[in-house]
Amino acid sequence: MTKDNGFTWKLGMFVTIGMLAFILTIYFVGKQKNMFGSTFLLKSHFKNVSGLKIGNNVRFSGINVGTVDAIELITDSSVVVDLLIENDVKSFIKTDAKASISSDGLMGDKVLIISSGTSAKESVKNNDILASKSAIEIEDLMKSMKKSLDNVALISEDLAQFSHKVNNSKGALSKMIIDEEFSNSLKSTLINLQTSSDEFAKFTTKMNNGKGALSKMINDEKFSRSLDSTMSNLQSGTKGLSENMEAAKSSFLLKGYFNKKEKADDLKKTNLKRQSILKQKKDSINRIILKKDTIR
Amino acid sequence: MVIYLKSIFTDAGNLILFTTRFFREIVKPLFETHEFIKQCYVIGYKSLPLVAVTGFIMGLVLTLQSRPTLSKFGAESWLPGMVALSLIREIAPVITALICAGKVSSGIGAELGSMKVTEQIDAMEVSAINPFKYLVVTRILAATLMIPILVVFADAIGILGGYVGFNIHSDVNMVRYNAQVFESLDFIDIFPATIKTFFFGFSIGLIGCYKGFTASNGTESVGKAANSAVVLASLIIFIIDMLAVQITDLFF
Repeated sequence: MTKDNGFTWKLGMFVTIGMLAFILTIYFVGKQKNMFGSTFLLKSHFKNVSGLKIGNNVRFSGINVGTVDAIELITDSSVVVDLLIENDVKSFIKTDAKASISSDGLMGDKVLIISSGTSAKESVKNNDILASKSAIEIEDLMKSMKKSLDNVALISEDLAQFSHKVNNSKGALSKMIIDEEFSNSLKSTLINLQTSSDEFAKFTTKMNNGKGALSKMINDEKFSRSLDSTMSNLQSGTKGLSENMEAAKSSFLLKGYFNKKEKADDLKKTNLKRQSILKQKKDSINRIILKKDTIR
Repeated sequence: MVIYLKSIFTDAGNLILFTTRFFREIVKPLFETHEFIKQCYVIGYKSLPLVAVTGFIMGLVLTLQSRPTLSKFGAESWLPGMVALSLIREIAPVITALICAGKVSSGIGAELGSMKVTEQIDAMEVSAINPFKYLVVTRILAATLMIPILVVFADAIGILGGYVGFNIHSDVNMVRYNAQVFESLDFIDIFPATIKTFFFGFSIGLIGCYKGFTASNGTESVGKAANSAVVLASLIIFIIDMLAVQITDLFF
């Protein structure tokens, strides 16, 4: 067998190195997937994992610290995601840290991101449940975008109509913008208005400060009180007058005149009644005629 | 036409009988260990330089050829991962198998063919040595086990070639390159590709042995055996590759 030693060691080396390379590759790929080494488990509940897959990376402060180990539906609207995370970062993830799902670049894989909590809190333990933030779905974004775009379309359409009208119609606004004459007259009107308002202002100041009867009526308390007493005197005066009138009605000298007036009033009333009765009769006749027409 | 077809089917039937005979003989006791190790040396170690050079060149060339397209998308950083993936999944197994079909299959075919022609095989039978066990089983087994190892070498050297090719235009160190390669790899990329290399190796050994073992008398047939062994082995490698990829695609 001594003769064979020449090639046996070469063969042995060849096979050993080949196997070693294969096993190393397996080891490194496995390490990439966190199959070896010390890890711990975290869970998080999501409504929607938006395409997260088993084996996707978990990032904490931008560093890949673990992988997604399992994704399971537990109810019709809740998905539990198990995260395998390296033991080294356990002390940095606090209990109020939040998990969210986002994508790695424009076309890349989904990643699960753990945003750091407040440092005052305790760090997580094995099998803890992390709170989750629902990610902004591209679909939701599109929906709201569409809504606002629709609105913009409506608004711009209205605006177009409006500006078209302004340009072409003969309304006041378009005249104001286009017609020079109109704008000139508007200007003079405004100037007039200004002067008149100036006058009015002068008037009101005079009224406030002047000593004329009108200003006194508004401003002077004494004057208004005396006006009030005058008015009450006037009232009592008119009362007396109406009493006098009643007395005059019953006096024989004026009785005739008042009786005549009453009779004329009665006549007017009876005339009105007659007219209304006549009208009713006419209406009923018309109705009958109409009915006949319909029967025919 | 009918005769031509008949000859093809006869060939296929003989190949199937040969294969079943191999499986019957392999379970019988008295394994020719010494001859097996020698064949492993010849098939494995002796093919290594050839495989290493082709693997290196494939890695280098693939990197250089993919770069312009990827840099168009600004995705040059994906180049190591892409080259490693295509090497491990497809290119290294197939190229290695084809190289070995040319080197090993034709070698076995010529060797066994000349033995058959010079009636050495008959002489073996007379001297109470099972020629099938001694010549065929050892060679097929050696090829089946050595080709996967050669493919692993081709993968490794091809990725090294990719590193060299990547560093022609940009600058990345070995650690980062390795990290990029392993980031893109998954078990799905490695295991189906490895399993199919066993079938490649088996078919290389089988076709070489079959063509050599069934060579008709006459020196002319030795060359014919070697030639047809290479052609058939290469064809079968591609067919197996297609089947393997389809099955992998179906399940994963």
